[in-house]
Amino acid sequence: MTRPLTLLITSTALTAMIAIPAWSAMRASAQGGAVLPLRSLAVQQAQSPLLVLVDDDEDEAGEYGDEGEDGGQGRISGNHDDDEACDDDEGSCGGGSSAAAAGTVAPPQNGLFSNGALPKVQVK
Amino acid sequence: MMRSMKKSLLAILAVTTVLSFPAAAMAKPVTVTTSLKDYGGNGAYLALYVTDKNGAYAGSLWMAGGKSKYYRHLGNWYQATGGDTAQINGITGASVGSGRTLEVTLDLADALFDAGYTLHVDAAAEDMRESPNDASVALTSAGAGKPAKGRRYVSSISYAF
Repeated sequence: MTRPLTLLITSTALTAMIAIPAWSAMRASAQGGAVLPLRSLAVQQAQSPLLVLVDDDEDEAGEYGDEGEDGGQGRISGNHDDDEACDDDEGSCGGGSSAAAAGTVAPPQNGLFSNGALPKVQVK
Repeated sequence: MMRSMKKSLLAILAVTTVLSFPAAAMAKPVTVTTSLKDYGGNGAYLALYVTDKNGAYAGSLWMAGGKSKYYRHLGNWYQATGGDTAQINGITGASVGSGRTLEVTLDLADALFDAGYTLHVDAAAEDMRESPNDASVALTSAGAGKPAKGRRYVSSISYAF
């Protein structure tokens, strides 16, 4: 009788050690804090490209071109050869390294995503 | 007695296994649908991101448009992130054409809903005006499936479980 009881107590303690941080993080997010719990529970999974990308080639057809006149404030100029004419603001073009496309890496660990499936995208 | 002990052990193992992975039970796939107006221009860059109940940036959900040098035209998103592409690693796709509809299915935490979070869309297209916060919708259980109207590029935005 004592042995099962001991086992039960041990497993309950183990569960509490794992679950309490997760619950407290969830409460903190519900009270307006940043959504953190998933960060603390992040589990590295094997990357498997499950992305379903469909027929959108807009990046080629509709991408900002190299010709055009400079627009006014708040307007995107078609002349966006920023590598040469990158002299606006403080000289920053915001043209740093490109982000990894969906399906190539896991989503950012910002607390918004679970550790589940990779994003799926479709353009109709 | 051994049998009853085994049963007890199995039950304990099952309980601890379930409780040890609460994240799996606290997330769900959410499809965010962004329909664009027929604005007659080139493909639009769209930044989908979330703010908390205080209006503070909480994180990005999707970036439509792959060239980081144009992200500065997504004003509110850029201001919040400084154009940090690490914020959109793994959640970046192509820009979206005029009149098209973007559907993105994401595995999101339940904690995002009914907690004051709001989904926003910044939009911009070549030779057209930038449109920060073109559309926004509160993330609630009751709001699922109910489209919210956009201002300039976005016709409507909605989410469904």
